Amino acid sequence: MASDAAGQASFRAALSHAKAAVAAGDHRAAFAALRGCTAPEADYVDQARVAKALAAIDLGAIGLRALRVALVAASTMEHLAGVFRFWLAEAGFNADIMITPFDTTIQSVLDPDSTLHRWKPDVVWLFATHRDVVLDVPPDAPTTAIETAIAQAVATRATLWRSLSGCLVIDNTVDIPVDDPFGNLAGAAPWGRRTLLHRYNVALPEAAPSGVMLLDLDHVASLWGKRRWADARYWFHSRHAFALDASGTVAHAAARLLAGARGLAKKCLVLDLDNTLWGGVIGDDGINGIRLGSGADGEAFAAFQVFVRALKERGVILAACSKNDPETATAVFRDHPDSVLRRDDFAVFTANWDNKADNIRDIAATLNIGLDALVFVDDSPAERDIVRRHLPEVAVVELPDDPSGFVAALAAGNWFETIAFSAEDRDRSRYYAENAQRTAVRAAFVDMDDYLQSLEMVATVGGPDPFHLPRMAQLIGKSNQFHLTGTRYTEAELAALAAHPDWFVRRIHLADRFGDNGLIAVLVTHRIDRTLHIDTWVMSCRVLGRTVEGFISNELRKIAQEAGCDRLAGRYVRSAKNALVAGLYDRLDFACADETATVTHWTIDTARPDWKTWVSTAQEETLHA
Amino acid sequence: MPDRADIVRRLTTVFQDVFEDPGIELHDTMTAADLDDWDSLQHIVLVLAVERAFAVKLNPAEVGKLENVGKMVDLLLAKATAKA
Repeated sequence: MASDAAGQASFRAALSHAKAAVAAGDHRAAFAALRGCTAPEADYVDQARVAKALAAIDLGAIGLRALRVALVAASTMEHLAGVFRFWLAEAGFNADIMITPFDTTIQSVLDPDSTLHRWKPDVVWLFATHRDVVLDVPPDAPTTAIETAIAQAVATRATLWRSLSGCLVIDNTVDIPVDDPFGNLAGAAPWGRRTLLHRYNVALPEAAPSGVMLLDLDHVASLWGKRRWADARYWFHSRHAFALDASGTVAHAAARLLAGARGLAKKCLVLDLDNTLWGGVIGDDGINGIRLGSGADGEAFAAFQVFVRALKERGVILAACSKNDPETATAVFRDHPDSVLRRDDFAVFTANWDNKADNIRDIAATLNIGLDALVFVDDSPAERDIVRRHLPEVAVVELPDDPSGFVAALAAGNWFETIAFSAEDRDRSRYYAENAQRTAVRAAFVDMDDYLQSLEMVATVGGPDPFHLPRMAQLIGKSNQFHLTGTRYTEAELAALAAHPDWFVRRIHLADRFGDNGLIAVLVTHRIDRTLHIDTWVMSCRVLGRTVEGFISNELRKIAQEAGCDRLAGRYVRSAKNALVAGLYDRLDFACADETATVTHWTIDTARPDWKTWVSTAQEETLHA
Repeated sequence: MPDRADIVRRLTTVFQDVFEDPGIELHDTMTAADLDDWDSLQHIVLVLAVERAFAVKLNPAEVGKLENVGKMVDLLLAKATAKA
């Protein structure tokens, strides 16, 4: 990336800026300097220098989330650790990375007393390449022999997965090699090496249980370029399994995947309109003058709209942010025959003449999400620069001049990675749109209670049945703001807790007259003697300010009483993002029992009047399905 | 005709960048033992950085066998001469 002289000069300047900021004790500024100076596709020399500079920065002090990651491989991984740590920092993590000794995968994973297990990782990446997959099948082998070989290769991985059930596991599809003595036939015959590896790659996701997520490494290798990916010099010299210059791309892909798994994926795409979603300026060119749908660049803009709409359908919230008259801008979505996007695809539609940094701040506030959950797309370098300077938390996409490159530029960031797709994801945009309607109705009410009553809110309480378990784990995983204790549970861990006689796990769904809000809260509670401890309370910020907290408190008391407890105990563990609920237990009349710099403990007697709420209970479902 | 002094000058910049030390001065008898940071990973970074700066392909194992910086300059000079 920085191979040209000007690029190298600004790269050097950024590194020395970071160094100076560290010396001055300003770790935030040091990290900001590094973030801007490199890209995943930068070569290894640059990646290594950034990684080295990052090592001097205290990432914990600037609020990044701690994460212990172990790399387990039968190839050399030392070169990847620092680079991976940088891209994990970029994704919001303060990672501690350990590498198990070279080629000790089986011992490290299967021995419960190994260095790996004793290190207690949060995440284990079982890094594999095609060299690690044993698929010995002679040419012209019968179908049964082929299937047996693939099943055995997958079973070998599954044995490793099972031994790591306490942590999040990353496994990966393997990179299919380019050179084979059989040439084309290697991928065209049922027994060919490439065919077998393809089938292995397809069998992995079918076999992977929840708690094991797959990085599509073969796709990463293809994106980077297969011929360059296999750099035999470094395999023979030092057992590096892929070209060192691909390290940034690999590390970035894995870091974005972990961001998705741990609730740090982006949630909302903020889009400029003129020259971003269509060619030309609607205010000057008019609806018949803008380029959209026909002509070379008109088709490119329409294709970009198709991509954006597909993002919306998979759960990304869309917001428009344009310097325009609102009526003029909306007319395109209503009247232009080739506009793929419609006005109601946008949860928030901001068209005015104010500064975009302020508008973006308002968009985040309206949606009740953090600035770090936003990705900003604008064709104007000046607007991008303003947003970068004023809102460093917002991810800004570097768009090329040619609209035919817009999809690739947006996709390259891997901003919206998720490890699963659920009905909640599909419906998310609708929830946010309905919330905007609720806000409009609220404006018409003078009295808040009248408004809340008019919503006719009904909650359903249930347990962790197999259908809901993945969504419950997902909600715990992605909640940052309304999360009192910062716990993260895999589906397997949650199921194990629910099966324990002293633990009680609940989910709460909320509906009102505007629609179904879906799963909005998960509670994990633990009975110790006659006290019910609230281990986990996460809630969707969509339903803040609607007395759901009161409803949940009544529900917690009900769990306590059924469990034979007469006290509730809550805990607030401070994180970089959960200041929102620092005073929650105080507001709910709990008494503070203990206080340290990062944790406050609260208790309350269950013999007390009901907490006030406008939420009523729906007919109860069976708690243990 | 490639110039040995020019190669030493460009190689010095590469060393200064890779080892993050603008004070490094190269001399022919310098070896890995003379630089604290020159471990196996830094060796690879150095080879890649030299490849980039001189637009040549090197074999990391071959470079590892070079006994000192002077031999590295000789190798780069030979490659530059072959190209010229």
